[in-house]
Amino acid sequence: MNNLMIEQLSRNLDIAATERVAITQLSLEHNFDEQQAYIIQNALIQHRVDRGDSITGVKMGFTSREKAEQMGVFDRILGRLTQSMAINDGQVIDPGRFIHPRIEPEIAFRLSRSLTRNCDLSEVMMAVDGIAPALEIIDSRYKNFKFSLADVLADNCSSSGYIIGQFIELPANIANLGMVMSVNGVPHSCASSAAIMGHPGRSIIDAVRLALANGHSLQAGQVLLAGAATPAIPLEPGMHVSLEIESLGSVSVTTSAAK
Amino acid sequence: MSDSFINETAVESAARKLYVATEQRKPCSPVRDELPELDLDAAYAVQEINTIKALESGRRLVGRKIGLTSKVVQAQLGVDQPDFGMLFADMAIADGEMISMDRVQQPKIEAEVAFILSRDLLMDEPTTADVISAIDYVLPALEIVGSRIKDWDINIVDTIADNASSGLFVLGNQKRSLADFDSRLCGMSMEVQGEVVSTGAGAACLGNPINAVTWLAREMALRNRHLRAGDIILSGALGPMVKVEAGQTYTARISGLGSVRASFSAV
Repeated sequence: MNNLMIEQLSRNLDIAATERVAITQLSLEHNFDEQQAYIIQNALIQHRVDRGDSITGVKMGFTSREKAEQMGVFDRILGRLTQSMAINDGQVIDPGRFIHPRIEPEIAFRLSRSLTRNCDLSEVMMAVDGIAPALEIIDSRYKNFKFSLADVLADNCSSSGYIIGQFIELPANIANLGMVMSVNGVPHSCASSAAIMGHPGRSIIDAVRLALANGHSLQAGQVLLAGAATPAIPLEPGMHVSLEIESLGSVSVTTSAAK
Repeated sequence: MSDSFINETAVESAARKLYVATEQRKPCSPVRDELPELDLDAAYAVQEINTIKALESGRRLVGRKIGLTSKVVQAQLGVDQPDFGMLFADMAIADGEMISMDRVQQPKIEAEVAFILSRDLLMDEPTTADVISAIDYVLPALEIVGSRIKDWDINIVDTIADNASSGLFVLGNQKRSLADFDSRLCGMSMEVQGEVVSTGAGAACLGNPINAVTWLAREMALRNRHLRAGDIILSGALGPMVKVEAGQTYTARISGLGSVRASFSAV
């Protein structure tokens, strides 16, 4: 895959996102492997940065065993968060800014130091100075939310928006925090933070590894979304979605009604 | 069959079929087609016949289990309410005690909060406050459910008639009070060999396990089998149930309540 191809495919994905028009899976017409897909992702993010956007952190995907098996893969996937994706806690947003958005419950970590080499659990947790409940909006740029592993990696792992609640200091144990995502006040999905790789901190270890393998690293001040605890649900107009996490507090977002 | 059964009602016949399936450890066909369609009272009448039989044979009633407390499971069975079954002393297993695989038919396992009462709930329509006042302490629990109906081919009538598909239960050993944990947001994680196989939270059980106990207390008052001091109440699964595999140990952790284990024999 040459530079011209990287430029073309990353542009296609960038335009799909900005114009809100889903495109055909890239992998149906082009041959590229997972490593090349991360190169396309890097180029895609660079287009945004060139427009004045800034990188705020990373997101992890396929952190639940079911999701990984469903996709037929056994590694996690890494995407990037940028400032233009940030939505405030409690904000009312127009769902029309997305193509076919879905929302999922997450845990966010904030890093107080950069992680520029592979680390173990104690080391990554030492680098965390805050934890918060978070919601992620995913919105595949591909038609019908259908993609191969390489496709989704190139498409920044479908990541489109994120809402983070208030960061607090790490509680003594974060391995089994109850997580309840409610729609219009009614509990919809329940899980424990154990659904994220048995301990959500393990997600940071893999994020460090995947970032280093693909030409970047996690920087002090950045945030990390550790992965969804339950399957994503369609984000529709007129919907109030909130997530409460035991000991951490809550976060919410509301979509405006259909016009 | 002897002539004495010729005049037995559909309810008695269903109860006998389930009793025989239990005694012979051999699953039977569903009972729903022999009973009035979706008649929950008829289903509970079947359960009650076998409860009386159990009590007459000397089994000791120690509590109740609440089932169908998750929205997902209710949707699967097309119902909008939970159900209950009877817990007998011989169904209680100690934390980590080896369980022979032949003790439950088609076993599945789920993690729950167990409530133990310090007083009788004899009033009509007990309230949440009545229930909370009556709770002595709380334990983490594993429920091993089973079905006497072949291949778990059940609807609501089948499972109610079959004592709410109850099997065995394991209680943890750390006595905690209601104030020690967040019954709505507590996390639940069940692991096998270090791998997480089910997770959930308190709210998965009717919004809060205490809601399930209140529902049960009211239902028991209506049916004249009031909850009593000392009763153990398994309030309902906090996460998806998992099929039991021989030779495995299932460890459940509930945030604030500690952990509990069920170990199964290799054969």
